[in-house]
Amino acid sequence: MVGDLISQGLQLPLPILVSLIGALVTPFIGILSDRIGIKLKDAWFVLVSAASLLSVYQLYNLVKATSEGVLLLYSWGQTPPLSGCFEVDMLGVYMAFSIAFLGLLVSIYSVSYMSHETRVTEFNTLVTFMIAGMFGIVLSGDLFTLFVFWELMGLSSYVLVSFLKQNWGPIEAGFKYLLMSATAGAFLLLSMALLYGLTGSLNFGMLAASLRGNPLTPWTVLLFSTLIVGFGVKSAIVPMHTWLPDAHPEAPSPISALLSGVVIETGLYGLTRLLFVVFEPSVFKLPIAALAVLTMTVGNLLALLQGDLKRMLAYSSIAQIGYMLIGLSAGTVFGVQGLFLHIFNHSMMKGLAFLSAGSLIHVGNTRNIDGLKGIGHAMPLTTAGLFVSFMGLGGVPTTSGFISKFMLFASAIEVGMSWLTVIGVLNSALSMAYYLRVIKTLISDPIDSMKGLSEAPILMVGVTVVMTLVVIVFGIWPEPVVGFAESAAEALVNGFNAYIGAVIG
Amino acid sequence: MYPISFFIVTTGILFFFGLVALIVKRDLVRLLIGIEILFNAANLFFVALSTQSVGLIDPLPQSIVMMALVLDGTVIAVGLALALNVFKHYKTFDIRKLRRLKW
Repeated sequence: MVGDLISQGLQLPLPILVSLIGALVTPFIGILSDRIGIKLKDAWFVLVSAASLLSVYQLYNLVKATSEGVLLLYSWGQTPPLSGCFEVDMLGVYMAFSIAFLGLLVSIYSVSYMSHETRVTEFNTLVTFMIAGMFGIVLSGDLFTLFVFWELMGLSSYVLVSFLKQNWGPIEAGFKYLLMSATAGAFLLLSMALLYGLTGSLNFGMLAASLRGNPLTPWTVLLFSTLIVGFGVKSAIVPMHTWLPDAHPEAPSPISALLSGVVIETGLYGLTRLLFVVFEPSVFKLPIAALAVLTMTVGNLLALLQGDLKRMLAYSSIAQIGYMLIGLSAGTVFGVQGLFLHIFNHSMMKGLAFLSAGSLIHVGNTRNIDGLKGIGHAMPLTTAGLFVSFMGLGGVPTTSGFISKFMLFASAIEVGMSWLTVIGVLNSALSMAYYLRVIKTLISDPIDSMKGLSEAPILMVGVTVVMTLVVIVFGIWPEPVVGFAESAAEALVNGFNAYIGAVIG
Repeated sequence: MYPISFFIVTTGILFFFGLVALIVKRDLVRLLIGIEILFNAANLFFVALSTQSVGLIDPLPQSIVMMALVLDGTVIAVGLALALNVFKHYKTFDIRKLRRLKW
């Protein structure tokens, strides 16, 4: 087994182990690197991210080798369902792959982006802890383990949002984020208490065995609403989205990319997993469809009004969460496949959008779209990356965003909710309005302050070029990632017997 | 085995108080206290439920509550640190002044 590396008693999935130990060692490496004056800490940061990606691949092979498709890891010498455990199935591996892939790209980018900041060691440590927390969420096999890693991810992200504490903006945004997310954490704890009261266990397999398929009672309705609030705040579903447009623009650009690309999707993963564990898809179909309509419409309409580039991207993230909720509301294998495919594609596209916007802002020194007028002439590669990511987010064919949006909309038709598809397509068209406005501003005649600028540092441009290629390649040749997403969706929707059997059997 | 209905009502009242504190209070520290009340209501519910199985007191919720106390303590600690930074920039603890970021 994986965890025998440490001892017989403690078994952790390797990605969590790598990133946790990497984060704990980072401060010492940072002190050492400050003493001897070479860039050891940047190398360590990238090394840890790359090692997590490799260990996700190793986990993939391990899960693939099992006959049932579920890998059970438990710690402290106790056996589930009594103790906490990690239950790794294809879905967990898929999410961990998305996180690790974006994490590696962002870490390379931030080496160059943060090179003029002080406190780089703290930054690297917190980012690695945040990634470790996300790994823990997607690989955990019971709700309490999920909650511990949930708070690890949350705490790191509060501090990272308000990282540039010499300005008032990040502090205000960070405090709002903390206040709303901590309230949601309390709701999550209440939902855990309710689940414990209903079943006497917090293990996902036990919960599914005893709750799934039962008729609705007032307690399960209360449970449903606490779950929606508990996970919905982190994933910015619309009535609970107000922290996001403050927090994402004020964070440093690599952090915006991570927050928008994977952190809110990790919240959505938690919601999807819990809803499928506790309820049948027919129960949550209509409430989730209503939230989807609300989320994408509000996100797109408010994005139209923004003059701030990163704030517009933040609202666009809310709209994308709305599209993903369509797949959850359909509840079929096809819909969930579209949901998780869009999570990966969105992590690439929105990561690319935030990183290239970060490069533009880094060079142009303003976040205002009109203030960046004509910067495309000075920075052609970065602007091309931004263009491709906008095309992907709008769902233009030959970009990867088209494939996943097509699957999401088709899944809604498949279950007889064509009105949801119509609203989704209309929203998609509306979203092109603000994307194209930005592109037009960036490539029109430069204003005086945008003349004489040059392209961003080579590492930053390199990362955006790689991500541009990923978006285009997976738009033209989507088979590998579509197949991976399909096995993930199969594991969630149809793999219940294996999931339950691994714990109880 | 204690009567559970008493604890359910207490949890509901505590949770309601926490939400009211979050809605009507303006002081940053009081808001954080409101979050603490919410967490403690959920913890109380957990501990009360642990006594409901016949013949034993389930250790699982008790260990979870110990851990949850630590977790919400760390969240509040980060919140207080941020509140200090808010005071540095805004010279006030009033949440209504934190609206410089436009929607």
